[in-house]
Amino acid sequence: MAEQKVLRISHVGLRGVVGSGLTAAHVLDFASAFGTFLEWGGPVIVGRDPRASGVMIHEGVAAALLACGHDVISLGIVSTPVIQHTIRRLEAAGGVSIGASHNAAEWNALKFFGPQGTYLSTAEASELLDIYHLKKFNFVEWDRLGKLRTDENAIDPYLDELARAYDFDALRRFKVVVDCCNGTSARVLRRMNERFGFGFLLINAQVEGVSFVHEPATTERMVALQLAPLMQPLAADAGFLFDVDSDRVALATEEGAPVSEETVLPMLADYLLPRGPGKLVITNVSTTALVDEVAARHGGKVVRAPVGRQAAIDALAGYRPEQIAVAGEGTGAVMMPQFRFVYDGIASMLAILSMMRERGRKLSEIVAGYPRYSILKGEVPLASGRVPAMLMELRQRNADGVANTIDGLRVDWPDRWFHVRVSQTEPIVRVICEQRGEPPERLFEALLDFVRGYS
Amino acid sequence: MPRREHLLKIGVSGVRGVVGEFLTPSLACAFAQAFGTYVDGGRVVIGRDTRASGEMLQHAVACGLLAAGCEVVDVGVLPTPTVQVYVGATRARGGIAVTASHNPPEYNALKLFNARGLFFNRYERGDLIDLYHQSAFRQAANYEIRRITPDPETPARLHFERILKRVDGDRIRAHRFRAALDAVNGAGSLVSCRFLEEALGCELHAIAVDPTKPFPRAAEPRPEALGELSELVRREGCQIGFAQDPDADRLAVVDETGRVLDSDDVLALVVEAVLDRLPGDVVVNLSTSAVIDDVAGQRGRRVYRTPVGEANVVEVMQAVKAVVGGEGSNGGIIFPEVHLCRDSYTGMAFLLGRMAETGQPISALAARLPRYARKFGETAYEHGLLGVLMQALEDAFPGAELDRSDGLKVTLPDGWIHLRASNTEPLVRLAAEARTRQQVEDLYGRVMQLVADTGPRQ
Repeated sequence: MAEQKVLRISHVGLRGVVGSGLTAAHVLDFASAFGTFLEWGGPVIVGRDPRASGVMIHEGVAAALLACGHDVISLGIVSTPVIQHTIRRLEAAGGVSIGASHNAAEWNALKFFGPQGTYLSTAEASELLDIYHLKKFNFVEWDRLGKLRTDENAIDPYLDELARAYDFDALRRFKVVVDCCNGTSARVLRRMNERFGFGFLLINAQVEGVSFVHEPATTERMVALQLAPLMQPLAADAGFLFDVDSDRVALATEEGAPVSEETVLPMLADYLLPRGPGKLVITNVSTTALVDEVAARHGGKVVRAPVGRQAAIDALAGYRPEQIAVAGEGTGAVMMPQFRFVYDGIASMLAILSMMRERGRKLSEIVAGYPRYSILKGEVPLASGRVPAMLMELRQRNADGVANTIDGLRVDWPDRWFHVRVSQTEPIVRVICEQRGEPPERLFEALLDFVRGYS
Repeated sequence: MPRREHLLKIGVSGVRGVVGEFLTPSLACAFAQAFGTYVDGGRVVIGRDTRASGEMLQHAVACGLLAAGCEVVDVGVLPTPTVQVYVGATRARGGIAVTASHNPPEYNALKLFNARGLFFNRYERGDLIDLYHQSAFRQAANYEIRRITPDPETPARLHFERILKRVDGDRIRAHRFRAALDAVNGAGSLVSCRFLEEALGCELHAIAVDPTKPFPRAAEPRPEALGELSELVRREGCQIGFAQDPDADRLAVVDETGRVLDSDDVLALVVEAVLDRLPGDVVVNLSTSAVIDDVAGQRGRRVYRTPVGEANVVEVMQAVKAVVGGEGSNGGIIFPEVHLCRDSYTGMAFLLGRMAETGQPISALAARLPRYARKFGETAYEHGLLGVLMQALEDAFPGAELDRSDGLKVTLPDGWIHLRASNTEPLVRLAAEARTRQQVEDLYGRVMQLVADTGPRQ
């Protein structure tokens, strides 16, 4: 049986199971590398999600950055978009987000941001990795060390920016239920209730460090668990589920139907394409074909990058911001140009509510306006060495479709497609296939059998 | 041979080094994780002095402790003795003070305490250093990681309470002494002002009590660094002046004329005060003055001698259940009824108590002590040649009483000299004492000549 990896150090940063994989020593070294990588001038912003290990990691990150001569501003438990917003607002040198997003509680991770709150480019991330591996850090002399201060109020200026972008007066009339999954969204939404008179009904709103009430994944299954059944009894207009660091979102309609996380990006493309000059939707090769169909309605075009945040960042860099309408993935993580391309679940939620208001439609009606696509996802353990031969044969067997090989193999036919790729976190091959209408059961089973034949 | 710079030292006394390239956050974190592993999780207290690198290292230490599954209690900037009292009183598993004590500001270090708030004994320290080198640390999983709880107020309160139970606070306060203080902008800055003004009712004139500023003088409160304090005492007509080092374990005292008292005499005054109230013996190190023997002898008490170093003195004090102890030459006063550690606060309270009791000025109290002339120094020496030197000393002083437990101490009828190798540098440190200035100069000169003869150095 394939064993789950417990530590991954890559361009995306540092991620692992705390204790058995990710240790204090890794944290110190990686944060020291980041402190060495960053230019001096301006503080470094640090925030975390509520995982218990975040306290330990925060201490290590702070020590390393101070030792490299950077002042540190610590925001405490906040969502990642708040960290990124604070970096811009304070003209910081960069920032660190401590949190493992949609992973289980025993995981944690470090994400690094440059000035402007942007993710590091692949070139920058490579440099950071090289410094980490060389372990030659720029520790400054004792009289040039940085100082740490805390800022507990970073959420307010972030909300001010959202208030300028959305019509809060109109949106607060909606009755909205939110499953916070014990994460950072609870703090942001509670503040929106206090400051702007929203009436978000929050469930699982206790910020929790050890065990989340359910898996922190923005999937249809998690929406169905607690959120969807509350919609009708509470007579809510919409329901939203966030992951722990609030960059991903999933939905439930007012009728109590969970909406696939794959639908979030097409919905936002539908909303944003007609509003701005941008005609491009940037996504990855595993994302639903519904996005192509919706984009085509508005004369838009879909650009597909390999799976993963780093590939998305690199794809964005290939276009001018005004060319892009929206970018995101099928996991419910979406970024919008007016928020400088930060994955932000709360901004996505506000966009969906704005869409409901402007169109005067219920959420279920909007969702019903999209054709049905059925997606099936599975996985097969496979040793890495067998992957290239498997992909080559698979391509030959499906020569009648349009092949895309930027990340594993995707083959498209007019009404269906599949994507077979290697997981970045486990020694498995992921198999995804989708069809307009009914689920492509036979294709899916055939693909799984084919890959199993190689294992 | 060029003189070696000791920029980092990891040994049985913990970690000490120059912050930057040498004492790094990773090293402090790993050492703290070894400590957290050694004490097997549980509550661990961290505090620090005011040096610039304290904040950075404190975060690194907290990271290592949390990673080992410890719960961290952060007491912030506080005197080392106050941290030790708190560790013992709150039944924590242990404590770490981030302080390089009297070392210059570019240095920092970790002082490690056991569950009773005492230095680990030499065997325990050996175990810990082995654990550090083996890197086999406790690695807590997410659910095992505890919190950081701040508790900045309780420690000083506990510490003051303990001291005030052992001195006559009412009588001291009734005198409303005019006292001066130089806290070197160290960990004592705020606590010492409260102690002298509020707890002991002094009219206080303080300098260097801003913990956010750098050390305005040498960190070690040696007489040559205390010019400003002497000046302050004279200008304000103070009855006594106190000086601390950055972590406020050491004490130096200036009398009402502005003269810096000999630190051996300060210890002797405290020993007198304690022995007049309580039964029990005395423990001091080999370099401490014979005035302690005189003071103890007058009261029929015994004096035990130990190698130099607070941990050594404390170890013997525990073993013989001593009632007071210390290290003369470096201003360390140890009174176990408050806590088994060097404590400048206990020293201040006893000296003020003595002044209140006798109604005499501090200079008169010191003048009553038997007079000795003392001389301290150091000289470069290669450690490999020490054996030859010690043999030469034995031959040069036939019939003298010899103690080889820490270097060599030669005791003669009218004086003594103690030579020991530095732990950190290729140096020999010398301490000598005799009845007259002439005698001590002769003895010191004779030994320095032997050092020169046996150490073939250019």
